[in-house]
Amino acid sequence: APDGFQRRQAELCRFQALPSGTVTRSDMSGLSLVLRAARAAFPAGARQLRTGGLRSAYAKELFLGKLGKEEVFPYPEISNEELEEINQFVGPVEKFFSEEVDSKRIDQDAKIPPETLKGLKSLGLFGMQIPEEYGGLGLSNTMYARLGEIISLDGSVAVTLAAHQAIGLKGILIAGTDEQKAKYLPKLASGEHIAAFCLTEPGSGSDAASIQSRATMSEDGKSFLLNGSKVWISNGGLADIFTVFARTEAVDNDGTKKDKISAFIVERAFGGVTNGKPEDKLGIRGSNTCEVHFENTKVPVENVIGEVGGGFKVAMNILNSGRFSMGSASAGMIKKLIEMTAEYACTRKQFNKKLSDFGLIQEKFTLMAVKAYVMESMAYLTAGMMDRPGVPDCSVEAAMVKVFSSEGAWICVSEALQVLGGLGYMKDYPYERYLRDSRILLIFEGTNEILRMYIALTGMQYAGKILTGKIKEIKKGNVGVALEIFVNQFRDIMGRKVDLGLVGKDGVAHPSLEESGKKLEENIYYFGAAVEGLLRRFGKTIVDEQLVLKRVADVSINLYAMTAAISRASRSISIGLRNHDHEVLLTNIFCTEAYFKNNYVMAEIEKYAAENLDDSIKKVAQQVLEKRAYICSHPLERTF
Amino acid sequence: MNCVRKLLLARELSAGRGILRQAAPGRDLPWLQGSSCAQRFWPVSVRSIRSSAALSRSELIPSARGDKEKDRGSRDGSLVPFDELFERAHEGDRTKAAFSRAVELFCQRDIRRRGHVEFIKAALRKMPEFGVERELDVYNKILDVFPKEVFVPRNFIQRMFNHYPRQQECGIHVLEQMENYGIMPDKQTKFLLLQIFGKKSHPVRKYQRLMYWFPRFKHVNPYPIPAALPRDPVDLARISLQRIAADLSAKITVYQMSLTDVSDAGKEITQPHIVGIQSPDQQELLAHHNPARPVFVEGPFPLWLKKTCVYYYVLRGEPLPPEEKEETIDSERNFFYPLHLDLDLDRGPWDDEEFYVDEVEEGPIFAMCMAGAGDQATLAKWILGLQQTNPILSQTPVVFHLKPGPQELQAASDSESGEEEIPQSWHAKQEL
Repeated sequence: APDGFQRRQAELCRFQALPSGTVTRSDMSGLSLVLRAARAAFPAGARQLRTGGLRSAYAKELFLGKLGKEEVFPYPEISNEELEEINQFVGPVEKFFSEEVDSKRIDQDAKIPPETLKGLKSLGLFGMQIPEEYGGLGLSNTMYARLGEIISLDGSVAVTLAAHQAIGLKGILIAGTDEQKAKYLPKLASGEHIAAFCLTEPGSGSDAASIQSRATMSEDGKSFLLNGSKVWISNGGLADIFTVFARTEAVDNDGTKKDKISAFIVERAFGGVTNGKPEDKLGIRGSNTCEVHFENTKVPVENVIGEVGGGFKVAMNILNSGRFSMGSASAGMIKKLIEMTAEYACTRKQFNKKLSDFGLIQEKFTLMAVKAYVMESMAYLTAGMMDRPGVPDCSVEAAMVKVFSSEGAWICVSEALQVLGGLGYMKDYPYERYLRDSRILLIFEGTNEILRMYIALTGMQYAGKILTGKIKEIKKGNVGVALEIFVNQFRDIMGRKVDLGLVGKDGVAHPSLEESGKKLEENIYYFGAAVEGLLRRFGKTIVDEQLVLKRVADVSINLYAMTAAISRASRSISIGLRNHDHEVLLTNIFCTEAYFKNNYVMAEIEKYAAENLDDSIKKVAQQVLEKRAYICSHPLERTF
Repeated sequence: MNCVRKLLLARELSAGRGILRQAAPGRDLPWLQGSSCAQRFWPVSVRSIRSSAALSRSELIPSARGDKEKDRGSRDGSLVPFDELFERAHEGDRTKAAFSRAVELFCQRDIRRRGHVEFIKAALRKMPEFGVERELDVYNKILDVFPKEVFVPRNFIQRMFNHYPRQQECGIHVLEQMENYGIMPDKQTKFLLLQIFGKKSHPVRKYQRLMYWFPRFKHVNPYPIPAALPRDPVDLARISLQRIAADLSAKITVYQMSLTDVSDAGKEITQPHIVGIQSPDQQELLAHHNPARPVFVEGPFPLWLKKTCVYYYVLRGEPLPPEEKEETIDSERNFFYPLHLDLDLDRGPWDDEEFYVDEVEEGPIFAMCMAGAGDQATLAKWILGLQQTNPILSQTPVVFHLKPGPQELQAASDSESGEEEIPQSWHAKQEL
């Protein structure tokens, strides 16, 4: 019986009854007035309350083979008031996007028409996460994710908004002083000013050492002179406020001078800011991407974000915090695609049968539904975790959501296009645009490769810190510890029953998800063992084993996805949401597939480079790259 | 195959009748009268010699000289000094045409091809002299000298024992020489060998072995050298430098073209060529070089390209002292993921796939060049050119460690051997 599960639910209800605070609100105008008025009916602090404690290390704990069930069970909820509030936002925004936003035209003209931008501004969508005291909507992460679902219906708009607030003004929001906030946020929230994030340079993607832009302090020490060029800046041509990263000379603790990265708020009005013409892109064509040049731009000292020389941390925090919303955005897009393609599949007939009667077409819809479901579950679980009181660090979870959802979105869009066959390839239909737009998801905000490294290395670092003592004991030849490991491994071989408290008596997952829960538990346990094995084998040199790290990241992403799906489905069953049996099916399908994939990948992890093909893979790449070409002889080639 | 052969035979017989008659005047050859049914007239027991397709055309041309040669040949008797045949054949140049002429002369002289083994051996010896040692069709022509079908074993006893061992050995010699020069036989060779020695004979076996190994070895060299090296020393330097650098991003710069000019004062000024190579990696290494430490120009070092030896110079630095070698990883380097883990665990022995290698420390090499002269003045011009792209070089002391070049050693041998040389280069000498 799901005793433990019900107890959790009771706990959840208790937490939600906690008191709330009030906030001041600034002036508002336009359509957002209605929204904000609706919103004002509810105390803002209510959304601060979530279950669980301050600790937030679910994803990292996975690397130890532990399941921190109290962090992910029960699935985070929002209060009825909040729900009502967000629904009042959702309505007008949805209406706006379906009626006012002409995605096809935006894509063709490579420009978002001013009236569309105006509409977005009046809806308050330029200040979704800016606190109400600065004139924003002050949405929690969860509510932001919810709106993201709708905004993503047009890739160009979504990217424009994300570049503005997910990264562009995020620096001011998370590290700015009160003066900076008061000065800049109101205009940014209303959309009067648009923000852009300027990090990438011609010679620098993720390497801080190759940033060439430089800010030199003036002699009076009151301002910096900024010089440098930035490339691929989203909103670069529209923005008035830039968050710019540049080298400054900083004095170290030991008195030596050293170049360090600093973050600046730069207004276009400071002068010396020019931008190139908008880049012609594959997708998200309506968003403005261009080069931005700074030439002797005078930036006052007050405009440094954080402290001088502290730009690296600011950049990392901005990048880490911006990613989680991609999950709900992708899910929103896929849900829309399912609707559109299902319409087609149920009406087109071939051989006197509807397209929807063919197994291979059905499979595609299942795939899309499963992906959308899991993405959504991950996105809202993560958003819920981030909304907990305190400043929980969910960067690993957010990265997992980003990787999973961007790849899922790409696959799903491609499958949706496939359902329509030749029609999907035509420009008359929106599928090719969705396909082009979704390709960027795998690239920006940290490419998926880079994020996999982040996920795996952060987890390994966390597990390594805890396991170092144990591993050292083994290496020293401590018989006791070695024996323990041997016994453990022997029990694994003999078919261990893993019980991490997810299912069964005192389990937190619903009994109808028992199979999936067991699979997750087993995967988590063996993943912990695999990580320990890797630490024993590679130690700190694991950094150089990217092929291994990629597998580690893949398994951990799957584990988090399984967790999110099980947690959400459990909640749905327990509170009797509509179609919760469908959710159970989706969860079971996903968990079973992921379970087998995980087992395969973990078997690869345990093997040595010669057996899991890593050696061969590297060798082929090396030979190809040495010649910088495909080196096989042509099949028609002869030697005599 | 058989059909084709028969057809060929028939054609040759009808065409070559006149020549055969000419070759053996006064002999009654009744089997030649009815060319239309040549097959019937070709019992193997008649040990007649016939010429094959390869030769039939040339034989068809009635040549006055051929007659003359023939007469002389018969005057000399059966013991012909074959070397002389080649001497006589080349009137002036030793070329492929002359060589072919010699072979043709031999074939025309005697229908029975008496002494063909000796002739073939002489021909093989003479090939390099005529510069045809790498010509496949010449080898085929030599094989064509063998009388056809005579040495094909006709019963199991012949097949069991070494049938016509001298001829077979001679055939193998031809193939061996081809092997040594890396010439791959073709269909024609096979056809000839089958015609001469028959299936499963030793030369055919040799041929099969060649055809087994040669294709397999054809591309065994991962760094092939072009069959004909360029004559222009600048182009040659280009190829050589690219070969040593083994980096596709390395950039070749011609700092100076070779030039001979007469100055106003009437003095002759020669300006040797200077070709250098530098990769972006080397440029970066040099940019990080501490200008307080000198860099060295060293050389000349030899590089062999087949039979050509060229010499190159390097610009290198001293090995870094250990305290400067350790690169500290900046923790604030990567915006996205940590570049190193803060763990006190090392790699286990099972995943350590590096072999123990006793490494000899060498300093970094910053650039390489080849020049038309090895004196310090020329090389200084190279360094001057390098300064354009590597500004740090202008602040760095450059020390010239030049060994005496090979010019003194070779001066003597050059004059006596008189071998062809790449113009104005003691450093790039073609040796045969």
